[in-house]
Amino acid sequence: MGKIVLRQLKRAAPLIFFLLSTPFAVHAQEVLRWGADPSGGAPYVFADPAHPDRYVGYEKEMVEALAAAMNRRAEFVPTDWETIVTSLQRGEFDVIVNGLEPTEDRARFILFSKPYYIFKLQLTVRKNEARIRSLEDCHSRTVGTLSNTAASRLMAKEGIPFKGYADPVGAYKDLELGRIDAVLMDVPMEMYYARDNPRLRPAGDPVHRGAYVVGLRKGDEALKAEVDAAIDRVMRDGTLERILRKWSLWDDAQAELQAAARTDVAAGEKKPDEVAYEITSSSFNWREALLRLTRAALVTVLLSFGAMWIAVTLGLALAIGQSRGPAWLQLLCTAYIEFFRGTPVLVQLLFLYFGLPRLGLAMPGWLTALVGLGLNYAAYESQVYRAALEAIPRGQLEAAYSLGMSPLLAFRRIILPQAFRIAIPPMTNDFVSLFKDTSVAFAISVWELATAYRELANASGEFLLLGLLVSAFYLLMSLPLAHLARRLEKRMQHGRAIRAVESEVAA
Amino acid sequence: MIRVEGLGKSVGGARILRGVSFRVEPRTVLGIMGASGSGKTTLLRCLNGLERVTEGAVECEDVRLEAGLAEKEYQRRVKHLRRRVGMVFQHLYLFPHLSVLANITEAPVQVLKKPRAEAEQLAHELLEAVGLKQAAPRYPESLSGGEQQRVAIVRALAMRPEVLLFDEPTSALDPRRSFELVAVLRRFVGQGQTMVIVSHSIKFLEGVADFLLYMEGGEAVEFGAKERVLREPRDPRTRDFLRQTD
Ligand SMILES: Nc1ncnc2c1ncn2[C@@H]1O[C@H](COP(=O)(O)OP(=O)(O)OP(=O)(O)O)[C@@H](O)[C@H]1O
Ligand SMILES: [Mg+2]
Repeated sequence: MGKIVLRQLKRAAPLIFFLLSTPFAVHAQEVLRWGADPSGGAPYVFADPAHPDRYVGYEKEMVEALAAAMNRRAEFVPTDWETIVTSLQRGEFDVIVNGLEPTEDRARFILFSKPYYIFKLQLTVRKNEARIRSLEDCHSRTVGTLSNTAASRLMAKEGIPFKGYADPVGAYKDLELGRIDAVLMDVPMEMYYARDNPRLRPAGDPVHRGAYVVGLRKGDEALKAEVDAAIDRVMRDGTLERILRKWSLWDDAQAELQAAARTDVAAGEKKPDEVAYEITSSSFNWREALLRLTRAALVTVLLSFGAMWIAVTLGLALAIGQSRGPAWLQLLCTAYIEFFRGTPVLVQLLFLYFGLPRLGLAMPGWLTALVGLGLNYAAYESQVYRAALEAIPRGQLEAAYSLGMSPLLAFRRIILPQAFRIAIPPMTNDFVSLFKDTSVAFAISVWELATAYRELANASGEFLLLGLLVSAFYLLMSLPLAHLARRLEKRMQHGRAIRAVESEVAA
Repeated sequence: MIRVEGLGKSVGGARILRGVSFRVEPRTVLGIMGASGSGKTTLLRCLNGLERVTEGAVECEDVRLEAGLAEKEYQRRVKHLRRRVGMVFQHLYLFPHLSVLANITEAPVQVLKKPRAEAEQLAHELLEAVGLKQAAPRYPESLSGGEQQRVAIVRALAMRPEVLLFDEPTSALDPRRSFELVAVLRRFVGQGQTMVIVSHSIKFLEGVADFLLYMEGGEAVEFGAKERVLREPRDPRTRDFLRQTD
């Protein structure tokens, strides 16, 4: 829940900052607006647990040092990791400083500074895990990681099945709960989120050797030179080392990386400041993307039908309970309906996914989404059924009674079929919107169609083409439904006439 | 055989019926007349257990509904009662989602557990008797008012009730249709059916009824053989009513 508030704040933050800063910024020094995702962003940049309105993190301190070296004022712009490159391109901030890896894909859209940090990847498993000793053992397991990171690209290349998360907390939590078998993540995050967790332990030594760089817009060559010079400077004067040591991130690899910048001054001669590091590449391929989209579309369909089944059966029970049950049941049903209609479905999903495991009930993401959406839509369906039941004249029931039918029989054979006919058009419409609402499942890392689009598009930059493709997928599935809804609606209107003709023909 | 003894019905503080007593012998037709709001419909609903009596009792064959029965016992008796007493409502309430045939066979099959073929056989016979042989597969909405009326009668008759209650059967019919209905109903009476018919049409009741009951203000003012009540009413209120309606 905290995360949602944070996301909302994040959206509004640039505007608020802008409004607040404009009048004062006119005569002040130039700003360096830097973007990063602070949700689950430790130890890079994150909301200080002690003062949640303040951000802390080693990258925050580093950017402030860099800005000082550039004689600028650092201004933090919170953003989303998934869309960080496009946000930079749109000019929401000037640089990305968010543990960004200089991949070839990204090189097509943005500039990179020189590296400022060498990172490794650490595999983490549950304490009692005996089968997994290294990444090699994970080929038939599910490994969690952040979407669109070195770790995810590495596993994609190695053919290891992985699950992409939006933040490290969710990934490690799912590992604890047994929803996944291991987590592979950059060492800084692993250190902060998993190293001290008594239920988890590292599996094997860190692997891979990658670099973090500052990302800049294409064309900002001058700013890039400025940033590079600033990086050199904070390395040379020991500021960066001090910051990294403070955050326990200093190691031999950093010493090696910084040696170039440092000896430079000492010896006064030009040395190549190249340090060896590896770059993961995602090698985006359309065939694979199409396959993943198709799989995601199937998940979407499964979610929709499963959730609708729950919504229909539970909704009917709620409607009957609410209108015909004893007083306590009516109260219970009303409370249920008001609760689920009065709170956002996103909050309900997050509660089911992260809250229920505390009570000992940990469902996998897809099941959580299916059940959550079902429970939510049941509240809405119940009102459709209640209205439909109330639309049947009381005389129908009395006519059935006068023919000797029991209340149950009268309800089942006389009232329900008539109410169902009234309820079909609104139900079909609800189904279409449920179908689209499955996209909220991305919040709990379910790989349905909307999540797939977000991740594939962010990884490839193909927002337009993939967007058209995904829309086509949605339409392919929802148009027949909408068509069915319209036809049923028409039938309800003209049903009498149609049936009259049919029976005329039959007679 | 219907016996009504000191029947009273109050809703809230209002006494809708008070001290109503009469009998209906088997194979006869009782016509109930009275001004609007005199309690005719309420009386019929009491006879069918759709309303609970608050004073006195109604008895049909061996099923007796009296005031102050415990809910469980009341429901048990009503269940028996409704197998013996059928009702045709003023607004008919045919089941719109079922064909004419299914409207008629639904209760015999579901309640009496008759084999479907047997129930359909009977339904076809009854439909033929009221001149609606062709209507079986049609849906109620496609029928005229008079045809719907006859389907409602057949639907009630298919349960083979000892008594059939009618509320305003002629309100939707033109004079000719009402006249035809008299013939249809008399034929079933001839076959042993007992009926209670509420109507505003004295002419219709004159044609169909054997006995007449005049109601006013929730009371049974006059009860007797049709000819006697129409020709020489004893109570001045009945006399006034008959004069006004002629
Ligand atoms: N549930 C109820 N609550 C309060 N009053 C009622 C109720 N049912 C009937 N009444 C009243 O009882 C009186 C008799 O109603 P009833 O429907 O039996 O009259 P009726 O003789 O059938 O009239 P009409 O010829 O207009 O159909 C009316 O004044 C009516 O308003
Ligand atoms: Mg009436």
